Amino acid sequence: MSRTRWIFLGIIVFAVVIVAASILLSRQSNEPGGAALTVERPDALTIRVLTALPVEPWVRSAADAFNAGDYTVDGVPIEVEISAVDGLTALGRWDRNDYGALPADVRPEDLTEAERAALADFPTAWIPDSRYLVELANASYKERLGRDVFLTDGEYRARPIAISLFAWGLYESRASVLEDKFGAINWSSIHDAATARGGWPELGGEPSWGFFKLVVPNPSKNVGGLAAMIAMAGEYYDRTNISVEDIADPQFQAWLRELMGAVTDFSSASAYTAEDFALFGYSVGDGGQLLESDLLQNMQGIRTRWEDPLRIYYPDYVTWFDFPFSVWVGPETTALQKNAALEFQRFLLSDDQQKAALAFGLRPANPNIAVDAVENSLFAQWQDQGVQTVVPRTTAMRSPDRDVLLTLLRWFELNVAQ
Amino acid sequence: MSRRRAPSHSFRLSKRNRNFLVVASALALSILFCCTATYRSGTWLADAFRDRPDESSPAGPAWSADSADLTIAASPLMAPVLSQLAGRFNALDEKTPDGRAMTVSIIAVNPEKMVVESLGSPPFQAISPDSSLWLDQLEQRWTDAGIAQVTNSVIPLGQSRTSGQVRYAVSPVVIAAWEDVARDLGWPDQAVGWQDIQQIATSDAGFKWNHSSTNTASGLLATLAEFYAGAGLVRGLTAEAATAQSTLDYVRAVEATIRFYGEGEEVIVERLAAEGRNFLDAFVGQERVVIDWNRTHPDQRLIAIYPAEGTLWTDHPLALLELGANAAELPVTDNQRLTYRAFAQFLTGRESQLSLLAAGYRPADLDIPLDGPDSPFASTDAVDWREPQTTLQMPPANVINVVLDAWRYTKRPTNVYLVVDTSGSMEGEKIRRTREALAAFVEQVQGDRDRVGIVEFASSVKSFVPLSTLDETSRYDMLDVIDNMDAMGGTALIDAVYAAVEDLQSQRDDQAINAVVVMTDGLDNDSRRTLNELARLLETRDDSPVVLFTIAFGSDADDTLLNRMADAGNGQFRRADETDIEELYRIISTYF
Repeated sequence: MSRTRWIFLGIIVFAVVIVAASILLSRQSNEPGGAALTVERPDALTIRVLTALPVEPWVRSAADAFNAGDYTVDGVPIEVEISAVDGLTALGRWDRNDYGALPADVRPEDLTEAERAALADFPTAWIPDSRYLVELANASYKERLGRDVFLTDGEYRARPIAISLFAWGLYESRASVLEDKFGAINWSSIHDAATARGGWPELGGEPSWGFFKLVVPNPSKNVGGLAAMIAMAGEYYDRTNISVEDIADPQFQAWLRELMGAVTDFSSASAYTAEDFALFGYSVGDGGQLLESDLLQNMQGIRTRWEDPLRIYYPDYVTWFDFPFSVWVGPETTALQKNAALEFQRFLLSDDQQKAALAFGLRPANPNIAVDAVENSLFAQWQDQGVQTVVPRTTAMRSPDRDVLLTLLRWFELNVAQ
Repeated sequence: MSRRRAPSHSFRLSKRNRNFLVVASALALSILFCCTATYRSGTWLADAFRDRPDESSPAGPAWSADSADLTIAASPLMAPVLSQLAGRFNALDEKTPDGRAMTVSIIAVNPEKMVVESLGSPPFQAISPDSSLWLDQLEQRWTDAGIAQVTNSVIPLGQSRTSGQVRYAVSPVVIAAWEDVARDLGWPDQAVGWQDIQQIATSDAGFKWNHSSTNTASGLLATLAEFYAGAGLVRGLTAEAATAQSTLDYVRAVEATIRFYGEGEEVIVERLAAEGRNFLDAFVGQERVVIDWNRTHPDQRLIAIYPAEGTLWTDHPLALLELGANAAELPVTDNQRLTYRAFAQFLTGRESQLSLLAAGYRPADLDIPLDGPDSPFASTDAVDWREPQTTLQMPPANVINVVLDAWRYTKRPTNVYLVVDTSGSMEGEKIRRTREALAAFVEQVQGDRDRVGIVEFASSVKSFVPLSTLDETSRYDMLDVIDNMDAMGGTALIDAVYAAVEDLQSQRDDQAINAVVVMTDGLDNDSRRTLNELARLLETRDDSPVVLFTIAFGSDADDTLLNRMADAGNGQFRRADETDIEELYRIISTYF
């Protein structure tokens, strides 16, 4: 071969080596996590579900069973990851767009690799305490994106997975004194107890009990606190629909301030107020209106720790939480993830899981399951303490709108928290 | 017949030219490939650098991006128990999904300092103060500092500095009293309250009681109880009620009966053990301290009195810090989060909960009965698991801040001399660190009732700055003296301390805590006075006793002499080096 041909061959080999090296480097850069949202068929699928605190123990235990059960979507194994977040805190995060939803004019394929990787943690579904939180989140995104991000109809619509209501829980020793004094347990009698200048001795109780101490969750940490304030307003006005004007009424505010003045401690780190109720006993709270499921989950603990069991009473104006399983419908999650979320939703609504919810004090969303359907149902276990399997005829409070919610929160911050 | 192709001049090239064209084409192709490759390599490199996290060294504490090591700052009383549990957790050898060993280490940090450090770039990723009220303080100060990103959210929830809070044990704050003292107060037949203790303390000069400084939950509660009593309230304490003159007068009268303040219950217990029954009649502390003491001193019991007006719980929260918002701080890694979750789960597991019960805490697991056969609450009347019956109302964070400020102006005043060795051996880093520590001490003295003086000595007293309250001018002058301290000469330790004690005694201020904090790094080789003369001087005035705190700086100090000096002055001996001298001065300041 002539020298020229050797040179020619050398140049070709050199070029091929450079191109091969270039391709190799390029592949390396694209390996893990690349084009996450356009991957056609991953080996495994993880979905992240934000879960309200009252249902978190049940949902987590269901997720463990689901993850162990080899569930798939289009043949891809599903792994469910539960993140416990208070409903109001989650709403604040949606509102601030902390989770990083994409602007309306940005498509996932336009993102850099790092940006796509950040979306890997985006929640696939959200189980808030109540559907009104979903509506508020939708309202926030409608302003930003011009559309709903959680659907109210169709295949991906938000579906309740369990229900619970707010009920009175009082230490039995204190409850019997209040019943003797007032006859009924309601916000009016609790207000009178809270404002009794002579404390428990004036009400007929022991001097060592001090003043009547009301339990209300901190509304800025626990959506149950807001629900309690809305229930107070409902009973004060004797109606189910509360407006901003109602909240702004000075007479109502004075009444509300007196009630909230009987709360011992809003500084607690925990958002699980029923747990505080049990852990610190009657020393911190004589009673309050809390979520029935939280009360039921702590009934045994209270009896073990304090030897003074809790009695349950049902209010005239009832606030229900329905824990809607809400699938995020934006492009931040893949279709496969959305369908995997639906698969988990179906699992939660299965008869077995609905029965399992009874052991957590939750009322099944599936109407075919009775609340005392299983032996370990907390509803059956605590009937002697006032728990009712069928809630007596009461009036349901209507969901507050955004302005009412914000007015209440602001009132709390200005008048109680500071 | 041979056919000859018609020559085509325009397209036909010579062999030489043809070869040139081939080479040129190959060269052009190569250049094209090279350009492509260069572009792609360049893109890859750019991507690689763009995706790589900022590896510039942070100014604060550092850990690797995949670290699974979690450091938890815990309150001093809980730290030893938590360390044992962390040891057991580490022995489980749990791993993160990427194979990193999950390890937890515990450091003891005073809760107030924990809050301050958590606002900056702390050397820990999680905290466990003795009460949730410190978390509230932290969040409030975090919000006030405005470091958290503020967005236009209509939901008024800020970005927290902490997350993932769990509670693993609780203990109510009680008045711990010797059994005979408790019986004299009416225990167990009648309710005893804060006001009973405050009354006896103000009416009986021989009654010795103590609550720690407000940098612990028990100290803060005792102070809150005084403000409540002074305002005539048991709930609804406001800033106005807390700062009313009648409230301040009451608190001032009660605080005048405090023997000393100090770091916390753990130090009080140490001193009870060292000095015995006569050290104190009663003190404020966690119920757990009573259980622990009675276990080792069954013949000399403490009784937990649950105050009738109500008390406060120490609830020992564990919280993860959401680091990364400050400029020079690293965020908590995903692996550290996993370690946090695993350790939190471990702490709330049954085995750990039983360990916490054995240590005298009430476990968070409500399924564990407090009156079970192995429970320290069973078979004793010194503590009562059915108590407390009621609690004081915890005011909002801003009212607590007002109480803390007001307390500084109502607490027992202090006259303190800082006696400082500036002999030749202090040259270099030692004198530099000493200057910083002294300046920090002087800076943190607040209020118009505490007086500070300085005695700088070497072969003799070099400078003597008499006691004075610290207004702007005198504080500046004192800092100037500190700034001009030079290391040279011998060590006349006893002479310097003698001069300070003599001056304190001449003040005849029996309302104040009179104290000398003496620091030296060497042996006394120039004093004319003797230790016996100093001890005699200290004994001369019982009505306004002078307390001596002695600090051995470095390894060459005369520990024996300093120990004896502290004993004679009814105080404490401590060691320090360049790394912790400032912290030690800060700790000692909590005694005043």
